[in-house]
Amino acid sequence: MGIAAVAFIGPQNNPLYLRSMDPSPSDDQYMKLHYVVHCALDAVEEKVLLKRGPSDSQDAYLGLLYPTEDYRVYGYLTNSHVKIILLFDDEGTIKNEMVLRVFRRLHALYVDTASNPFHSFGLPIRSGRFEAQLEGIVAVAPKPGASLGGFMT
Amino acid sequence: MLRGGPSGARNPPSLEQINAEVFTLTYGSIVRQLIADFEDIEEVNKQLEQMGYNMGIRLVDEFLAKAKISRCSSFRDTADVVAKQALPMFLNVSANVTNWSPDQTECSLVLTDNPLADFVELPEEYRELKYCNVLAGVVRGALEMVNMDVECRWVSDMLRGDDCYELRIKLKEHRDEKFPYKDDD
Repeated sequence: MGIAAVAFIGPQNNPLYLRSMDPSPSDDQYMKLHYVVHCALDAVEEKVLLKRGPSDSQDAYLGLLYPTEDYRVYGYLTNSHVKIILLFDDEGTIKNEMVLRVFRRLHALYVDTASNPFHSFGLPIRSGRFEAQLEGIVAVAPKPGASLGGFMT
Repeated sequence: MLRGGPSGARNPPSLEQINAEVFTLTYGSIVRQLIADFEDIEEVNKQLEQMGYNMGIRLVDEFLAKAKISRCSSFRDTADVVAKQALPMFLNVSANVTNWSPDQTECSLVLTDNPLADFVELPEEYRELKYCNVLAGVVRGALEMVNMDVECRWVSDMLRGDDCYELRIKLKEHRDEKFPYKDDD
């Protein structure tokens, strides 16, 4: 069990950030990640429509969105409709509390990054500090055998 | 004025406080707006300093009224008061006074924490921006109102990769108190 990729998607489903934790991902794998995350957006929409009436209390954590052959896809939706998608390797068991904890920290990280006056809203995140802290957060559940030198969009 | 961390214990209770994030974000948008308006980083630095100056000449009165301090006997005292009393009072951070020049007219205020610059990450194209230049202006303005002409400039800045914020203060002239009228007027 380990985190294979992290994605942030904006309110209009515009990509903000996608990063594979594989140290040397191929173009193919990269396209696949895009595809998996893209599909996850549909799953997010579905979950939101199914689960939420207007009066329901909003829980940001969406849980397991769907499993693919290689990944298990988890989602988190902030109140401003920023979606955070985590791809876990399909190995071993994944504890919900751990996933939730990672999501909370990623959410806090996003909030801090968005508070930077030089951050351009709605555009892809380009920030060294964001990258570094994200690596730190993801390191609590590293992919076995992988270093954290992955690449980004 | 600024609340951050545990219950602002260093502030006297008589001071109104505001939330640190509101303050940081407000300052951030001011800087953003200045960059949009002037488009020239040097000009933005100058404007920030001027804004700070205008704040400083007003702020010093409030500080003197509330800080319960006695007269400073030397520039050394003054620097200490700025670092240990004025900064905690208005920014909830304190600074260290170091790097005195041999003739005691130049020193550095070193801050390791700066609420103005929380969250901020300078983009490459704004490398020359002195993000906290407003503080340099505040110190210059405030000291000018108490008869000290000083020059303030940032020599290191964590936003540019240094390991602290260092504000260099140089005393140019200490003017004696002059009254604008003569005794027999």
